[in-house]
Amino acid sequence: MLPGMYSAAYRLTRNAADAEDLVQETFLRAYRGFHQFQPGTNLKAWLYRILTNTFINSYRKKQRQPQTISDDEIEDWYLYSKMAEEGLEPSAETSVIESLPDEDVQEALSSLPPQFRIAVLLADVEGFSYKEIAEITGVPIGTVMSRLHRGRKALEKRLWDVVRERGLVKD
Amino acid sequence: MDCEEVLAEVEHYLHGELDPDRSRHLAEHLAACSPCFDRAEFQRRFKDIVRTKCHSDAPEHLVMRVRMAIRSERRDPRRPPDQVV
Repeated sequence: MLPGMYSAAYRLTRNAADAEDLVQETFLRAYRGFHQFQPGTNLKAWLYRILTNTFINSYRKKQRQPQTISDDEIEDWYLYSKMAEEGLEPSAETSVIESLPDEDVQEALSSLPPQFRIAVLLADVEGFSYKEIAEITGVPIGTVMSRLHRGRKALEKRLWDVVRERGLVKD
Repeated sequence: MDCEEVLAEVEHYLHGELDPDRSRHLAEHLAACSPCFDRAEFQRRFKDIVRTKCHSDAPEHLVMRVRMAIRSERRDPRRPPDQVV
């Protein structure tokens, strides 16, 4: 479980040293609070809940970041439509994103406001279900779905900007 | 289901969040409708790319570091238990 948690911690804190500290702090808190874990419930979700809570409580204060995304102007299927406007074949569209360095995609995800970043991270990187994400983040499933939808759109927009900056599509 | 309904639910479908019946309806529509299929396929690949590219391997020393931290915690039982969640 630790490798996945390190990955998540890295996307949250945005650097390796803080990610290690966050993972260590998470396991220490889990160890100290293990009496609170209910046997038979989801241990992985419980650990990720400690991870995200610890991040929100200690690291977020250090990072001055906007808490919302102005996504009113981002339409659904944003990236797909932009790629299609470039005249790319459907099969070639994802190749453009695939050709980006990993760091570009990581940075795009890490630049989302925390609540959106956490939702996309838990769903699309860590593979948690909506129900598990609701448990981890302590919000209703409807809120999870809305954060995911808006977070993914914002991620698409940021990646499109990166693709253009890198000159991978004609401007 | 029409295209609009299908496209509105594709992200839930790709995340395995639809009930089996709904999921089957979507799959049938996608198999028969190439514009919807292209979008769904794009979204599926995009999701895959994000997952693959956003994974970072944990440094080897981290497991040992965490183990040591817990071990020194055990030697100091005076600490009261924490509220963690």
